[in-house]
Amino acid sequence: MSFTASHKLAPTRRRKPVRPPGFGLTLGVTLAYLSAGVILPLTAVAAMASRDGAGKFLAMLGDERVLAAFKLSFGAALGAAIVDTFFGLIVAWVLVRYSFPLKRVVDAFVDLPFALPTAVAGITLTTICAPDGWVGRYFEPLGIKLAFAPVGIVIALIFTGLPFVVRTVQPILEDLDGEIEEAASSLGASRWETFRRVIFPTLVPALLTGFALCFARTVGEYGSVVFISGNLPNETEIVPLLIISKLEQFDYPAAAALAVVMLVVSFALLLAINALQVWTARRGGGR
Amino acid sequence: MSIEVKGVTKKFGDFNALGGVNLDIHTGELVALLGPSGSGKTTLLRIIAGLETPDSGSVIFHGNDATDQPTQDRQVGFVFQHYALFRHMTVAENIAFGLRVRPRKLRPNNTEIKNRVTNLLQLVQLEGLAERYPSELSGGQRQRVALARALAVEPKVLLLDEPFGALDARVRQELRRRLRKLHDELGVTTVFVTHDQEEALEVSDRVVVLNKGHIEQIGTPDEVYLEPKNAFVLNFLGNVNRFRGRADHGQVRIGDLTLDAPEHAALVDAPVSGFVRPHDIDITRHHNGDSASLIPATVTFIASLGPFVRVELERENGEPLDALLTRERYEELSLQSGEPVFIRARRLRVFADDVKPGGEDYSI
Repeated sequence: MSFTASHKLAPTRRRKPVRPPGFGLTLGVTLAYLSAGVILPLTAVAAMASRDGAGKFLAMLGDERVLAAFKLSFGAALGAAIVDTFFGLIVAWVLVRYSFPLKRVVDAFVDLPFALPTAVAGITLTTICAPDGWVGRYFEPLGIKLAFAPVGIVIALIFTGLPFVVRTVQPILEDLDGEIEEAASSLGASRWETFRRVIFPTLVPALLTGFALCFARTVGEYGSVVFISGNLPNETEIVPLLIISKLEQFDYPAAAALAVVMLVVSFALLLAINALQVWTARRGGGR
Repeated sequence: MSIEVKGVTKKFGDFNALGGVNLDIHTGELVALLGPSGSGKTTLLRIIAGLETPDSGSVIFHGNDATDQPTQDRQVGFVFQHYALFRHMTVAENIAFGLRVRPRKLRPNNTEIKNRVTNLLQLVQLEGLAERYPSELSGGQRQRVALARALAVEPKVLLLDEPFGALDARVRQELRRRLRKLHDELGVTTVFVTHDQEEALEVSDRVVVLNKGHIEQIGTPDEVYLEPKNAFVLNFLGNVNRFRGRADHGQVRIGDLTLDAPEHAALVDAPVSGFVRPHDIDITRHHNGDSASLIPATVTFIASLGPFVRVELERENGEPLDALLTRERYEELSLQSGEPVFIRARRLRVFADDVKPGGEDYSI
């Protein structure tokens, strides 16, 4: 009897995998946010840029002044990101590895570029880097111009971008297993060999992230750069500034076209860095 | 290579990790540092390795003072509890690390390194895993990679910190035996830290029992197990039943029992404890007029442990007791829970409470 009964119950149905509750609502909010905040404006910019047709779009990009601005913007951001990655690592290292008086204050100062209005940073940096400024006066006799030159732009971007590298590398350094270094030294490795072969490779993904964040932030930096750059067309004019001047001439399609190109190049660069990061992380093999 | 530890002390803040430790380890010996957590055993191992500097005292390697020598110059192989493998390197790269970081003059060429790595992989039976990353290995395999990596530099001393601590019981047993075999093949002086008395007794030539930063006893596994110097060692090396009593002019009274204890002659009405291991307790039903050596008790619980049976009992004063019977003996008795019985201690050791020296075997 019981056999037949259980036999009747038998058709085993595959259970639907259960999703944690709230999926529909949260996904809806996420998609709405993405559409309203990212996709919609981007589409609008692209639409605006293509209003006057592809020919005008390309002609505008071929303009010497435009090309110079792009080169400067991406070049300066790249340079600043490279410098920040190097010094950011050193700052993070000092903050994690050593204890010294006023360490907390120093730690707080790292965040200053986050908090400081960029215009303030721009004016300050311009003042000290100007030919008669505290720093600029020592370079002036050597024939090196800091403010109102590409170097000044890089200086401003280095200032803006530093916390991104420090704050990405710092937690990874803090989490680094001390035993790994002890193991290396017990195997006969010097401090330098230990850093080069053991510590640095584990920091590479974090350094790449910091580099990417720093680059993405500084490539569009406007506030701190306009003061120190001097804004000479073909020489010290960055793309965001060029966009502003196009807008002032009511040439909206040209401004939008510049924005689109900037967007595409930035996006491509970030994608490439991300891919590199995934690759290094996979080589590390996780935990 | 022999290791001498002389009067080593180490404090971490207010915590006395080691308070004047002296220890001689002979060339080719396999020594276990055994103790509960906080006993200073890992600190001692790390001081020998040079990963920690002693506050005072010295570490001498083969007659040469190594106290101020940095770790990388000591030629010690250290295996960490959590292996500390380099995650971004393959198994082969991990093992080769110690050879690759050598100064150019001493560095073997690539073919030699490759051969060495292959040999070591064979030694720890991990052939074929050379190109894996540590994250792709099981715990036991990682442990063996850590061991191979430490052996690659041909260390004069091999130091292992809780080498089997993070592994499950079966793997642990296998690796223990493998470590013993490996040590016998290579003959390298080996010191390992453990909190597991069974591991220490099974693997080592000599056991160093540590407690609160001091060495309680050094001896062969049999010496520390069969002739513990004090109540701590006795307690730490296995389960034990404790009988509280008093010693007075060479006589010890535990409950209704009185026995002679000449080595406690100096004590006058002092508290002492008698210790009996569960397997040294026998259970009988009848006292046959021999009540002087028997203690009445009641069976409270019976647990079957395969080849053995643990019988939990309660004395008349309410103190619990454990007895470990062979299955044979248990079946012979056919004990029931709640039954009144008598117990006899085949081997009882008496130690004065809070006083360390002294302690002898007694039969009652």
